[in-house]
Amino acid sequence: MSEETKGKKPVSGKRRAISLILFLLAAVLLVLAALGQSLRSKQRTIDNLNTMRENAVLHAASGGLIDSIANQASSDKLKELRADKDFRRMGLNEVNSKTQAAADEARAEAEKLYMSIEVTDHAAMTAVIDELGGDLEIAGNQEEKERSAYSEMYVELIDTVPDWTDLRDGAADEDALFDGLVSFVPDLGKEENAHLRENFLKLSNDKADKEQIADEAEALNMLTSSMVGAVGDFTEYSGMGDDEIWAALTELLPELEESGHKDELLAAAKEHIAAAEKGETIEEPVKDEGVETTYGTLTDYSYFAESPELSSFNEKADKTYQSLWSILVGLIPDLEKLDNKMANTMRENIEHIVWPGSDDFYTRYEAYIGQGGAEALTGSDARNMTLAADVLRFLVAGLAVLLFALAFTFWKGLVKQFGVPRTIIFLFFVYLCLAAVLYNISVPMMLGNVLERFGMYGILVLAMLPGIQCGIGLNMGMTIGCIAGLLGIVLSLQFDMIGIPALVFACAAGALISVPLGFCYSKLLNRMKGSEMTISTYVGFSFVSLMCIGWMMLPFNNRKIIWLLSGHGLRVTHSLLGSFAHILDKFAAFKVFGMEVPTGVILFVLLFCFLMWIFSRTRTGIAMTAAGSNPRFAEASGINVDQMRTIGTMLSTVLAAVGIVIYSQAFGYAQLYTAPRQLGFIAASAILIGGATVSKAKVSHVIVGTLLFEGVLVLGQQIANSVVAGGGLSEVMRIMISNGIILYALTQSGGGKRE
Amino acid sequence: MNKKGFVEHLKTYAVTYLFIAISVFFIIVSNLDTTYVASQLLLRLNRNAFIVLALIIPIIAGMGINFAITIGAMAAQIGLLLTISWGIKGILGILLAGLITLPLALVFGFLIGRLLNMMKGQETIGSLILGYFANGAYQLLFLFIFGSLIPLSDRVRIVGATGVQNTLNLTGDVGLYKAIDGIWQIPFLTFIRVIGGALLLVSILLFAMKKMKLKSFLTCLVFSGILIGLFLIPKVAGIFDGSRSRVIRVPVVTWVLIGILCLFNTLIMRTKLGQKFRAVGQSQEVANAAGIDVNRTRIIAIMISTVLAGWGQIIFMQSDGIGTFQTYAAHEQVGLYAGAAILVGGASIDRATNLQALVGTFLFHSLFITAQSAASNLFGDSAVGEYFRAFLSYGVIALALVIYAWRGKAALKHGGVDLSERKAKQAA
Repeated sequence: MSEETKGKKPVSGKRRAISLILFLLAAVLLVLAALGQSLRSKQRTIDNLNTMRENAVLHAASGGLIDSIANQASSDKLKELRADKDFRRMGLNEVNSKTQAAADEARAEAEKLYMSIEVTDHAAMTAVIDELGGDLEIAGNQEEKERSAYSEMYVELIDTVPDWTDLRDGAADEDALFDGLVSFVPDLGKEENAHLRENFLKLSNDKADKEQIADEAEALNMLTSSMVGAVGDFTEYSGMGDDEIWAALTELLPELEESGHKDELLAAAKEHIAAAEKGETIEEPVKDEGVETTYGTLTDYSYFAESPELSSFNEKADKTYQSLWSILVGLIPDLEKLDNKMANTMRENIEHIVWPGSDDFYTRYEAYIGQGGAEALTGSDARNMTLAADVLRFLVAGLAVLLFALAFTFWKGLVKQFGVPRTIIFLFFVYLCLAAVLYNISVPMMLGNVLERFGMYGILVLAMLPGIQCGIGLNMGMTIGCIAGLLGIVLSLQFDMIGIPALVFACAAGALISVPLGFCYSKLLNRMKGSEMTISTYVGFSFVSLMCIGWMMLPFNNRKIIWLLSGHGLRVTHSLLGSFAHILDKFAAFKVFGMEVPTGVILFVLLFCFLMWIFSRTRTGIAMTAAGSNPRFAEASGINVDQMRTIGTMLSTVLAAVGIVIYSQAFGYAQLYTAPRQLGFIAASAILIGGATVSKAKVSHVIVGTLLFEGVLVLGQQIANSVVAGGGLSEVMRIMISNGIILYALTQSGGGKRE
Repeated sequence: MNKKGFVEHLKTYAVTYLFIAISVFFIIVSNLDTTYVASQLLLRLNRNAFIVLALIIPIIAGMGINFAITIGAMAAQIGLLLTISWGIKGILGILLAGLITLPLALVFGFLIGRLLNMMKGQETIGSLILGYFANGAYQLLFLFIFGSLIPLSDRVRIVGATGVQNTLNLTGDVGLYKAIDGIWQIPFLTFIRVIGGALLLVSILLFAMKKMKLKSFLTCLVFSGILIGLFLIPKVAGIFDGSRSRVIRVPVVTWVLIGILCLFNTLIMRTKLGQKFRAVGQSQEVANAAGIDVNRTRIIAIMISTVLAGWGQIIFMQSDGIGTFQTYAAHEQVGLYAGAAILVGGASIDRATNLQALVGTFLFHSLFITAQSAASNLFGDSAVGEYFRAFLSYGVIALALVIYAWRGKAALKHGGVDLSERKAKQAA
């Protein structure tokens, strides 16, 4: 500290200068944004934008024509060359360069002809374009609405119909079948969806057909397996004729006769016999693990149909386009010569210019620029248009610089209050919130997501709390508890339980299993004072790997959860849709301003937080915290430190077990094997971001930390996706935030600042 | 060796003997062709030994297992990426990659050292998490910065987007595959006879010049005798030289590099710097009192380790598999496997030698090779073997950490100083 105060004066002068510059820069950027915004509403700008649009439309037409002429010239040249008797001796490069030259020549000529064409009647053109834009907007919105309604119905149908074959066989005729579909998806029966009837019937039939084929294959597989199992030694059949083998087999297993798969089964048997003669056995094919990993149902739009309303809108747009087309043909008569394919491509281009999907200034500007619409403008007009278009960028950049300037100016105070990483994360969060508003990301929906994830991770993060309080630090080995919880879930699936009982059973079983595990684990940690975090991390990792073998070996036998073909070993991902997925999330859930509040799970998490808070006020709780924060003093005042640590560790393990059950119900899937390995790190970073240290933590740190961490992740993911395509950036962000905060906590605990 | 010493030896090397037992059991159960196992073992030994040896100096300097060697591997991968991008082939390309790795790894090592100095007593976990953190930075660099801010050629870029391709090819046109291994390869039997002969010659020479004691001379004699004699037995020799197509060859240059590193590790301990490493490793308090700049010494140890790990990764990459490298994953397991290997060899958190590193690599990889087929023979499922490998890697590290912490407690009970307490005190 003394060094800092010594060198304070000159440094602060420099700092002040830098922060002044930063503020100025922010001001400039914000002023530019304001200027751009004011430009947007000026008549001249609007006129310019319309001029750009007109120019872009014309360009799209003439450009398409020129392209087609150049293509034509190139293919003509190729034909001519082919006719030439020297063609075979020419190299590919020579042919290419010749056709290219011909195309370039034709293009240059065509450009002379068509590029300088100007619109004669601006008013008529603008009127038609405006009308077409309106038509396309109506039709586009309608189509989007219908498609999303279709998608909802499709997904609901696919997710809820248990057996398509049963559905089809149970229905007497098409009407009955459709009624059956409506019973699963009531929306389908509405008047407005009548046009989808045919296609959904077809969908249902297709699904039933596919299912039947799969069922038959599965049945054949089962038969083959039972045949192989029943026979055992195939060498006995060696040398028999087909009929003899079949007779012997049917005698052994009468159901083979009824199956109606004589040929296939006989072929399989013969394969086995041939292999047995050579002393080999045929391995059953192992099912590919990759099949299980897709989440959710993807909508197949091939069964989509337009409603009469949408068709009429589309017809209207068609008509308007025809009048625009006739104007264009009036300007460029040669457009008539285009073939259908080119004309369609051109139509798509023009329609995209006329209605780029939104009325937003920036979207429109980009769409026009893409088609060379800027050529109509020169000098200050062009500059003003760029300024007006880039309002959003200036605003985001300006706010970022402003935030940075504020942080720079008040850095010391902030850091003193929150610590370096927490300050950075908090500022980052504020910036993300601002950017979310600017990028038109629906904030209520985001907040709903954050709440959902809060419910998902809340108890897992809470599991960190007793560990820190009792003095073992960040309990990375909470994965042990997570595995106990997963065992609880798998047991509930094994017994085909559903609904609330399944959830309660999974929690209870998980908690029960985690008690002895937590006890042994705490005994280990009590002997490892001082290096608990290292040990717990690796013990957790080892236990996860050990349980990978366990998941393969445990004698579960419910066909819903094991690998079907090998007949043993649990699968990696288990869908909970049939048992207790989202059961807490949906309990008393409601929607406010488009924000979905998963009431049940939030209440559940808050209840557990409250219970932990109560516990920390009890005698045991206080003793535990004392043992954690100052073991020597606690020992001196008669507290059994080891016992307190055991209680804390076990509590943490049990909470982790319950936490993973809640996590899985919110996620909709339970993931086994290596999936839980990193959970400890996620929970640790959340509680640290909330303000905890490796030796002190409160319930409030859990709540704040989970909200802040998940908030940054959810918002960051959305914004990262709209800035850079692909999910990479948000993953990078998660890795760096999560591990960065743990590193910081470690430096604070070890680096000479211990009390 | 007296009885007490023997018990102590057993205690120290319990993990090693356990692994020897499991290895032998697995090799038998796996039912694999012995020539296959032997060739794979040699291959993996020469591929991995360098990285494992890079762990020794930080261990001696009291910084535990430096899991942050993954960051050295990342530096090496940056070097390799640039080399491939610039299209420089063969040994020249490898040298260039090594040259690029050097300053990068030095800077990274400096930063790692600074950070680890802030978390004394927690270096093992700190370096692990630092590795994870750096992985994030690495992804950022390779996904978004390379190809946009730093120009790359099309052969490594994702064409039409920013970022580096998922897998990079070292074979064919790139010409980096086996660039070190392939320089000079001789049959294994020749190699072993030359080594045995050289050892014999040198020891006789030294003994004659009276620079060697009788006891160590006899040891050398017996050792070289075994080396030469064992491989004269047709059955043993047959494993390595079964027929013309199955002659196991040894990449001499790689082995020479590994030998040089062993020598470096030994010789540096005789220098002033080496003495400082040892002093700091034994007690930071005492070292500090003796006027050693503890923090600086620790930073130097980590810097050396990071550079060596980077070069080790280059050796690994040029030899690995079929000559492709997973741009975003190749470095991830480096720390885990190297750490597990050296612990299997009998090293602990504060003690390690060259021999332990080499033996550990040998044992660890013998399990790696055989685990899958052994498990599929035992349990009828090869996936179990995969999981068993992972369990062994993590389990052996956990076990070593537990044993180390336990020893500290035991020492305390016998009137010694508790290691963790000591560390905490030093930190304060």
